[in-house]
Amino acid sequence: MTGAVDVRAVTKRYPGSLALDEVSLHVAAGEFMTLLGSSGSGKSTLLNVVAGFTEPTSGSVLVDDADITGVPPHRRELGMVFQHYALFPHMNVFENVAFPLRRRKVRGAELRRRVGDALEVVELGALGERRPAQLSGGQQQRVALARAIVFQPRVLLMDEPLGALDKRLREQLQLEIKRLHRELGITFVFVTHDQEEALTMSDRVALLREGRIVQVGTPQELYETPASRYVAEFLGESNLLDEDGGLLLVRPQHLRIGPPDGPGLRAVVREVIYVGGGLRIEVERPGGQRLVARTTVRPEELPRPGDEVVAHWSEHDSVNVPA
Amino acid sequence: MRPGRIALWVLAALTAVYLVLPVFIVIPTSFSASSFLEFPPKEWSGRWYENFFTDPVWLDSALASLRVAVLVTLLSLVLGTAAALGMVRGRYRLRALVSGLVMAPVLVPYVIVGLAVYATFLELGLTQTTLGFVLVHTALAVPYVVITVSSSLVSFDRRLEQAAMSLGAGPVSTFARVTLPLIAPGLAGGAVFAFVTSFDEVVTGVFLSGPDLTTLPVQMWSGVRVQIDPTVAAVSTMLLLVTLAVFATAGLLRRRKS
Repeated sequence: MTGAVDVRAVTKRYPGSLALDEVSLHVAAGEFMTLLGSSGSGKSTLLNVVAGFTEPTSGSVLVDDADITGVPPHRRELGMVFQHYALFPHMNVFENVAFPLRRRKVRGAELRRRVGDALEVVELGALGERRPAQLSGGQQQRVALARAIVFQPRVLLMDEPLGALDKRLREQLQLEIKRLHRELGITFVFVTHDQEEALTMSDRVALLREGRIVQVGTPQELYETPASRYVAEFLGESNLLDEDGGLLLVRPQHLRIGPPDGPGLRAVVREVIYVGGGLRIEVERPGGQRLVARTTVRPEELPRPGDEVVAHWSEHDSVNVPA
Repeated sequence: MRPGRIALWVLAALTAVYLVLPVFIVIPTSFSASSFLEFPPKEWSGRWYENFFTDPVWLDSALASLRVAVLVTLLSLVLGTAAALGMVRGRYRLRALVSGLVMAPVLVPYVIVGLAVYATFLELGLTQTTLGFVLVHTALAVPYVVITVSSSLVSFDRRLEQAAMSLGAGPVSTFARVTLPLIAPGLAGGAVFAFVTSFDEVVTGVFLSGPDLTTLPVQMWSGVRVQIDPTVAAVSTMLLLVTLAVFATAGLLRRRKS
């Protein structure tokens, strides 16, 4: 399999700011890698460096061991999907998807067959004659996907491709992108600020902060064994407890609320919220720290705001986090 | 209708009449049989139209104007588009200075341009030549192209160019297949203005014209000044039709685009 991406010590300096600070990252061939981070973390800059739209101040980018740092974008053979689709408004759907093939001198029956195949993959076979403006946002993004994969790139880069869509459509397209990844078997590099999206879709996630990668790993690794407080707080809800100079992480689904005479941390119930199929209980410790517990089982006696309780957990459900 | 609205309509109608009044004078005059400019004509005839199409002086100047205007349109589209690209997208210190210089020809009075050009071109042997006219008119037309193309470029989404590049299109192909088609309305508008600027130009034309080459507006000017030749009215009427046709075509093209 081909399509391994190697980012080696890439730095991007803008006047007055450091967008990327010696970032190194290896993406294995065929892997689904997500660059996760809040805005300004450098995730999009990193993607643009790989795509060739941004020239790094120093460092290099390799695809399948070939250095492409100075190669212009149109010779990199990398597919790219943009947040706002970037479909050519003066061409119909067919011509949009045919664009990369025409640049590669594909003509006639083969052109029609390959465009047709790509549109089938994204389930838009019948819409070739339409103009982009006549399509819904979800359909436009599917056309953009078809256009980015029709020339069989080794790597597909996606810059917040679902950011402009509403929640339901986003979830549907998440599944489709996953399916596409399985079917094509090529490397995906996906940028998002949405941690849930990152956790559901990726083989591995690289979390960026202020131009640096703070942790790379599988979604499970990042969620269960975060390398720092920042990672723990960025991914999902977390309870972080100071303990002998270290930090202890207990996820809300592992935190239990019991009667005040039991063992555990003393706290007072502040809020009890019913969330689809379960409860979210927020308690406050004497120092003012708030802890969150989620439970799908309805306790025999529903705690009420103001109740004195204790919060406790099993030893094997807590994780030490480097401070 | 309320009195206010009626007053508004009357005012609008009067303004419109005022603006097109010359047309109502010129068109009937052109069909007069008299040897002088006469309004209203006592007798009707097409002789001044016939005169235009048979007199080599008139035909030559019309062809000269057409030739110059077409060349000016092409040249100023190329230069103006390049300048607009540099002014809208460039990131350099002297951008304001460059903008100022490009726009200068429309700010400097044409008489001054004409005088300066006359003094220089006389020495270079460029007066009364197509090249001379094209050079001067292009300088006057470029700012209009820059304005219309710039406004298209400002609203142009540059991610479309990035998309084209990521799909394998080099810089030339990207410009030709993505950028150019999408800023075409700006180019069309610029082309109309450039053509009309050149085709209509009298002031510098008076300096540059002579027995070897005289443009149509200059010929019309001397047609009125030297001898009172009603062919001028016929030419005016035809110019009016040409101008209307150019603008109507541009308008129709724009409507079809959107």
